[in-house]
Amino acid sequence: MEEKHKQISPFLVFFLVHSVQMGVGVLGFQRTIMKSAGNDAWMAVIAAGILMNAIIMVMYLLLNKQQKDLIDIHKDLFGKWIGGIFSLIWIIHWLMIGLIALRSYIEIVQVWVFPLINIIMFSIIILSLVYYTVTGGFRVVAGISFLGVVIPFYIFLTFFFPIEYANFRNLLPIWNHSVKELSVATKDMMLGYLGFSTLLMYYPYIKNPKKSQKWAHLGNFLTLGIYLFILIITIAFFSEEQVSKQIWATLSMWKIVELPFVERFEYIGITSWILIILPNVCLSVWAATKGVQKMFNFKPQKVILFTLLILLCSTVAIQGRESIEKLNQYMSILGLFLIFLYVPFLTILSFFITKIRKEKSGNG
Amino acid sequence: MRTWRHRRRLTKGIEKENDKDESIESLFQQLNASNDFNVITCQFEKCSLSIGYFSTLIDSEILHRDVLPFLKGLDVISSLPTLLPIEEVILTSDTSIIKDNLLKGYTLIFDVNNLNQFGLVKSDVDKTRQVSLPEVEFSVVGPKESFVESLDTNINLVRKRLPIPEFVVKELTVGKLSKTRVSVLYIQGIANKENVSTVIQRLSDLDFDQITDSSIITQLIQDNQNSPFPQLIDSERPDRIASAIGEGKIAILVDGAPHGLIGPTTIFEFFSAFEDYFLNWLVASFFRLVRFFAVLFSILATPIYVAVLTYHYELIPKDMVATLVTSRSAIPLPPILEALVLELAIELLREAGARLPTKVGQTIGIVGGIVIGTASVEAGLTSNVLLIIVALAALASFTTPVYQMGNTIRLIRFPFLLMAHYMGFLGVAISFCYLLIHLLRLTSLGRPFLEPFYPPRVQDFKDSLIRLPFSLQSKRPIQEQTEDTMRYSASKAKKNVDP
Repeated sequence: MEEKHKQISPFLVFFLVHSVQMGVGVLGFQRTIMKSAGNDAWMAVIAAGILMNAIIMVMYLLLNKQQKDLIDIHKDLFGKWIGGIFSLIWIIHWLMIGLIALRSYIEIVQVWVFPLINIIMFSIIILSLVYYTVTGGFRVVAGISFLGVVIPFYIFLTFFFPIEYANFRNLLPIWNHSVKELSVATKDMMLGYLGFSTLLMYYPYIKNPKKSQKWAHLGNFLTLGIYLFILIITIAFFSEEQVSKQIWATLSMWKIVELPFVERFEYIGITSWILIILPNVCLSVWAATKGVQKMFNFKPQKVILFTLLILLCSTVAIQGRESIEKLNQYMSILGLFLIFLYVPFLTILSFFITKIRKEKSGNG
Repeated sequence: MRTWRHRRRLTKGIEKENDKDESIESLFQQLNASNDFNVITCQFEKCSLSIGYFSTLIDSEILHRDVLPFLKGLDVISSLPTLLPIEEVILTSDTSIIKDNLLKGYTLIFDVNNLNQFGLVKSDVDKTRQVSLPEVEFSVVGPKESFVESLDTNINLVRKRLPIPEFVVKELTVGKLSKTRVSVLYIQGIANKENVSTVIQRLSDLDFDQITDSSIITQLIQDNQNSPFPQLIDSERPDRIASAIGEGKIAILVDGAPHGLIGPTTIFEFFSAFEDYFLNWLVASFFRLVRFFAVLFSILATPIYVAVLTYHYELIPKDMVATLVTSRSAIPLPPILEALVLELAIELLREAGARLPTKVGQTIGIVGGIVIGTASVEAGLTSNVLLIIVALAALASFTTPVYQMGNTIRLIRFPFLLMAHYMGFLGVAISFCYLLIHLLRLTSLGRPFLEPFYPPRVQDFKDSLIRLPFSLQSKRPIQEQTEDTMRYSASKAKKNVDP
């Protein structure tokens, strides 16, 4: 457990879990899942959310038992070297979450706001924000996660505008897709929920961590609610064919928002979205750097700088829609593997090993 | 820089002299270098006495009325305290005590034939101005006393409002050259001990030559000295200081400074005027919200104008396009230059107004505001829409009740402006994120500065952006981590509510 003044209240886990799940995914998840599940895609959103809740439960089983972060658990169970390799895989996973959030956001800015934007300059500016946050310690990272949920919340009010033109009959007929189609959509939807695995790193920073479990679940449910809300409006607002042509259906819906003092709301929406992206990148970078720092005992600031440099190089290196899509695929495969196979495996293993150790010490 | 180094050397020299045990003769030799140091020796019946004093530091009336007539009957110095009608008489043989007190306005009395004991009589002249109206934090309703330059008067003003034995005044001396008396005020049993020791520790660790005002103390002891945001509240109202102490905060008063400091504090307290407590809670909450939005407007309005006109003109609704186009069609400058010129003009006006005497200052306001403003619009240098925005933003920045915060807000809009020019709305959003993270990182005496917003504490919202009725304020803010959390018992508080 960490020192007391560095710890945060358990209910902030609600914002930490939710903020890292919300990212660029919300702006364009509709096309991927509606490709296979059509107007029944909302079931996939719910199914994926509930599955994630199950995983959160498993994580808490593991963490409540061990009372330390993932790196220490690895070291404890597998020793320094093998544990280190497993930790490294997780660190890469977290870095990829941050990278995808950052790169996709830059892509959206490029496509929607500034086609000629200087990617290097823009990434440097955002990454310097990340640096400023992460060097402030976990308290500041948790703070920006909280503010990144609370301040941009007004954006979701604007989704009431498309309701005026919505046709909710699009939702009917329910259940006209097979279970197989739905499960494919559920798998695709999972990508939108990834990232909460950073919980494995910040668990020691929570006061009374056992109490935080319900907040983690609630945070996940808020994500589910937002996805569901936006998806239902999308289904009602667009026809299926239209959605298949929209990479960012959410942004397209903003086009019809019209206020007496402002038109073309998507500009404001996209710029406000930076406050939603920032916690996402900050938290994953924080988890990754914390992991590296614990494994190798380097100075925190150097690790952060080095990590951000890697992120910068990768953002500049990844160009074009296809490579971003490919990165998304790799990342979702790795993420699903880690969450659905590795976390339960680790939990069971830790239970067995602690039991065996107890018996041994009891005999000896 | 140069003078500062020179001062350092000077103070070092003084330290060295302190170290060796000097005799009374060498002390007199040192003091005689000043023309205002007088020594009189007179022969009395029982002994011959010498009287030494700084004529500029003492009140000669005290000397003539309360000291000299009584010296005739004196036989030994040790009977001075009983003989003189003055309460503060010190008997000592320590040269350093003699020196310190002589410089504070004491009169030295000793027997020429017996240099083992010296008497020091308090006779300092009290040349301070009268307690007057608060100028920076004026309020229409409520008390109208403000601090003056004398520490004792100021402590008296606070103590009158807190006549309880738990109210503690701890005095320290800070500054090698100025030897300024600095007092830390708090209530034992309410104020958090950790906060008190933080303040006292930071003050006693100070290594500085001259403390001329409380604002220097703020800059030296606040948590982040490179932040444009002040992290301690500066107030000239004794009632505000007293009520802050009652809340569990700690106040610092400095001799020679007509402003006290309060900490730990939050950013929202900088937007609350003390008058808010004298008004009905609905009115007060409304005013606070107005002030808060004024500040947001002041920071964001001009950058948004620049961003919209440089990059995002699609954003303007069609009804508003005509207005903007007609006002900007003849203007040769790009929006950023237009905005910078006007913003700097307002800064100039403010700076000129602040440096000139009040009567001339008014003229500056008229010349600047009306003549330059209308002339520059008529000449086609700026659009009148921008003129309105900039003037409103300037006005909005003056609504902050704490002067230092107003200055900060005037400063931070310039980075916003430049970023708006560079990246449009994205630039504004990025600057806003920087501001948020900066505020998240700030602490005031180790307590979070953005509280109750982050860490979110619903209970502390009762007196932050809004002010709820007193009947709901039975608990002291969590921010201060007070030892006694209740202001009054909540069960009795029900009586406070209107029937």
